[in-house]
Amino acid sequence: MQPLKRVVVVGNGIAGLTTSDSLRAAGFDGELTIVGDENHAPYSRPALSKAALLDGGEMTSHHLPPSGHGAQEILGVSASRLDVARKAVILDDGTDVPYDAVVIATGSRARRLGNADLDGPEVEQLTLRNLEDALTLRKRLISKPSVVVLGGGALGMEIASGCLSAGCEVTLVSRDRPLVQQLGPYLSDVFVASAHRDGLKVASSRAVGLRDAGGHRQVLLADGSVIEAELVISAVGDVPNLEWLSTSGLLSNGRLEVDTRGRLRPDVVAAGDVAAFPTRHGIRRVPLWTSAIEQSKVGALALVQGDDAPELDFQPYFWTEQFGLNLKASGFLPLAGPPGFVEGNPHDGPALMRWSHEDGSGTAVAINYRIPIPKLRRLSNTAPAAAPPLTNR
Amino acid sequence: MKIVLDRPRCEGHGLCEEAAPQLMHLDDDGELVLDVEAVDNGDLEAAKAAVRVCPVAALRVA
Repeated sequence: MQPLKRVVVVGNGIAGLTTSDSLRAAGFDGELTIVGDENHAPYSRPALSKAALLDGGEMTSHHLPPSGHGAQEILGVSASRLDVARKAVILDDGTDVPYDAVVIATGSRARRLGNADLDGPEVEQLTLRNLEDALTLRKRLISKPSVVVLGGGALGMEIASGCLSAGCEVTLVSRDRPLVQQLGPYLSDVFVASAHRDGLKVASSRAVGLRDAGGHRQVLLADGSVIEAELVISAVGDVPNLEWLSTSGLLSNGRLEVDTRGRLRPDVVAAGDVAAFPTRHGIRRVPLWTSAIEQSKVGALALVQGDDAPELDFQPYFWTEQFGLNLKASGFLPLAGPPGFVEGNPHDGPALMRWSHEDGSGTAVAINYRIPIPKLRRLSNTAPAAAPPLTNR
Repeated sequence: MKIVLDRPRCEGHGLCEEAAPQLMHLDDDGELVLDVEAVDNGDLEAAKAAVRVCPVAALRVA
């Protein structure tokens, strides 16, 4: 391989940051440039849904310490095009940034629900994706508005939980039982029961659009009913930021599919929410914090070491905190059937559970149960018969 | 330099332990234990890496 002199990282989230750090750790001492469209340093995205709603006075739990990678930072500017033949990133202010290798870490953005009335005024819909969103939401919750949350995934449920804690009346709109697609029926039941105890109302239907009715915000549901709310917050998934790559020739089936080392070409890697990578369950995007970190480490090494770099053997780690429940899971989700290994009972206290999958792998889940994550990981990987007894918790 | 832990903030995700196993570990109760608090130059980058992956900013180097 040609020695790398100049690496450009497009994206300044945790994937861009971790890739940059990992490049330095792997010995890359050339010129490093980071391009980011947000005008501030990277921050912890998972902390936002809690920080925005629950942090007392100051809001600091999303802060990440300053990086030490010594990159030249070009912030507040987006990349508009990637020219892989000429080896250049073209920014939307017209600047050309040449590279020997480029890292695509442009992340994803919140999906939004459309207006029901296409000619009507745009109905306000908050999301919780970036720092500005979190600050806005925090400010708006002070007056304790009635809230409708669209989407029964983990983020929607975290937002609903936070709004309830802030003293709002909250209705969650979810086509399926909340969290069933993400966690499976057993854990969905655990969370929904707790959410109901906290006073969450759930509308079991699909939101088909928003409407402005003389200053009132209305959410129209597929079953024909209408919910009014002072505040509408949507959490209906994310869309990878791929538009700037449309002429790059790198997309296949509309996706950015990388190999097991995060590569699209020897000189182009992608990491984080934007990339679809091989997992034991097919080529997938896994838009989670730990996934971005794992992918970034692999991609950085691949740029420096080529085929000598280790491949990504991704084992998901997921956590959420809502309605008084703190869940940590190691392994693939969602989970079919009841747990195969139980200590405690999640319906009335701390619990540690394990599910076995057909391919021999497993998933371990702790709810309100302190356990070191390496131990949770070992439990997920161990066949139940051979599982060592767990010591005190 | 010193590693400082904001214990109430720590949720025990253990990403820091993976980044710097020579400096810290989670005990059997899932509580983070700093095995080394005063870091010299050799460990500084590992310490910083641990600090940066924490999703709740419970660690810092001061």
